[in-house]
Amino acid sequence: MASENKTKLWTLFNILGPFFGLLLVIGLFSSSAEVRPFFLSGGNFKIILTQTVIVAIGALGMTMIIISGGIDLSVGSVVALTSVVGATLIEQKFSPGLAAVLTILTGGLIGLTNGMLISGLRMLPFIITLGMMGVARGTAKWLSKSQTVNPPENPLNNIMALTDPTQLLPLPNGVWIAAALAIFLSLVLRKTVFGRYIFAIGGNELATRFSGVRVSLHKIFIYGVAGLFFGAAGLMQFSRLTQGDPSGANGLELDIIAAVVIGGASLSGGTGSVLGSIIGALIMAVLRNGSSQMGWPTYMQEIIIGGVIILAIALDKYRQHKSNE
Amino acid sequence: MKSIFRSLPAFITSLCFAATLSAAEKNYTIALIPKGTTHEYWKSINAGAVKAQRELAEKGIKINLIWKGPLREDDRDQQIQVVENFTTRRVSGIILAPLDSQALVKPVNNAMQSKIPVVILDSGLKTDKYVSYVSTDNFKGGQLAGEKMGALLNGKGNVILLRYAVGSASTEEREAGFLDALKKFPGIKLISSDQYAGATRELCYQASQNLLNRFGREADGVFCPCEPPTVAMAKALRDIGKAGGKIKMIGFDSGSQSVADLKNGDVQALIVQNPMKMGYLAVQTMVKHLGGEKVENRIDTGAVAVTSENMDQPEVKELLYPPLDKYLK
Repeated sequence: MASENKTKLWTLFNILGPFFGLLLVIGLFSSSAEVRPFFLSGGNFKIILTQTVIVAIGALGMTMIIISGGIDLSVGSVVALTSVVGATLIEQKFSPGLAAVLTILTGGLIGLTNGMLISGLRMLPFIITLGMMGVARGTAKWLSKSQTVNPPENPLNNIMALTDPTQLLPLPNGVWIAAALAIFLSLVLRKTVFGRYIFAIGGNELATRFSGVRVSLHKIFIYGVAGLFFGAAGLMQFSRLTQGDPSGANGLELDIIAAVVIGGASLSGGTGSVLGSIIGALIMAVLRNGSSQMGWPTYMQEIIIGGVIILAIALDKYRQHKSNE
Repeated sequence: MKSIFRSLPAFITSLCFAATLSAAEKNYTIALIPKGTTHEYWKSINAGAVKAQRELAEKGIKINLIWKGPLREDDRDQQIQVVENFTTRRVSGIILAPLDSQALVKPVNNAMQSKIPVVILDSGLKTDKYVSYVSTDNFKGGQLAGEKMGALLNGKGNVILLRYAVGSASTEEREAGFLDALKKFPGIKLISSDQYAGATRELCYQASQNLLNRFGREADGVFCPCEPPTVAMAKALRDIGKAGGKIKMIGFDSGSQSVADLKNGDVQALIVQNPMKMGYLAVQTMVKHLGGEKVENRIDTGAVAVTSENMDQPEVKELLYPPLDKYLK
């Protein structure tokens, strides 16, 4: 009975851990009397939420991949490429709706390619997606002739536009879209067979294969669906910059992986949650926002975010150790 | 957790005190957002801003200057975030060197809309909703480089233009000015003008090497529109033994390395702006505006062609060796 209570407590801690982290960083910046009135304002939270959208949507796709025991290093390049694709389509007079759909599908297509190469060649995702990182970045520069693509004013620009930066509402549509996608993915992971297989593959791939699950096929799906999320992140990037930027989102994959890991996922697969990853993304956005407002130099931010990642992984190790006892 | 809730009322009272205190005296919080923080050019701008800050302090106007670059030097989204974060921070004013003439339009409009004045520094922005634009007339600076190139080559030869980065308005204007001035010299042929160096020194060095590998034999002159490619190109010229004037090299902006290159003859001329004056005037302009005075919409801070002959004149010397230590330590 006592041990059962203990396990319950641990599950609670696992779920609440990232939450406490978020409260901690919010508390950290609220402790300065000078910054607090600006930091703890509706308008500022709107900005934090808007700044989180791209990393959060990317983190959703990455959560699936990391739970399945994989990794995708090509996200930054895919976001740049899809943002260029979206901008180019608008420039070519495609309707905004069609351009948006094609942008997202481009991401999906790259994801499918990643998945097929990983499954088909039985190669490490790290290597395949490292290659794709270069391929997608190069393609983005090729398509755009290495220049930013500046299409005329169009409705897609408004997805991420801050209309009134002084108050919380109305939130940009991008925030609502990210929230809806998070709920959707959460349901998929919990309630569908596909979702449970993702956990099973990450937990023990061999055992899953022996239980008759077509692991290769599911891996292709996982990377494909994740690619759709990355395409959506690219669409948000395009909306935010109001241009397609082939050199943008450099290193974004590291922010995204960090968000997922801070959110409690294990890089060895089998664990992770949508809520955790979203909170992980929020923690990093709050850190960035807060350090700006405190007037901290940029290098402090980098050091702090790096420290948070190490701390999160250390906590993860500790939790695994505890749950094995 | 509990202790945070318990101390909340104390927080709020201290907050009210802080608000009444700051309203009593005349001080401004000004955020200065460069494109990056590692290049010496931005440090000179910072030094100029500090110079203005000190002078204004003597007049009794206290300025809290926040110097804050984007987390990654050439990342537009990161710079947008910095602008947004200062907008909700409700600083008195924002001085911004936009990384991109298009992508930064929305955040600047938002800041102006929330009644936070923005002064644009160094590079242009495709909007007219700002207080003032303080920078070198980059097109003129580029023309100056083109004329100098024409004179160095006696109006005859093959010239390379190594561009800097896409979307950087200041360097694009210099490149356009350079090409414009070259039109006056029918004997000069442009053999490469479509290569971009990139934002880091390493990328610039690679681009320079690749370019020289292809055109090094036929080229007579090279122009680079800002500091990182200037230093990288001079290094690449040394590597292939074409430095020291065999290929005439004109750079833009000064840093300790490019000035050393000018001195030892690997660079024939540097078009030098006055970043300290830029930082200084940006802060002065912002404070004037905050004080309710009318300010000019466009302020040109000028550019000078520095060669080994004129580099020892005192006014040129101060451009080449800005007294950074005096202001930044």
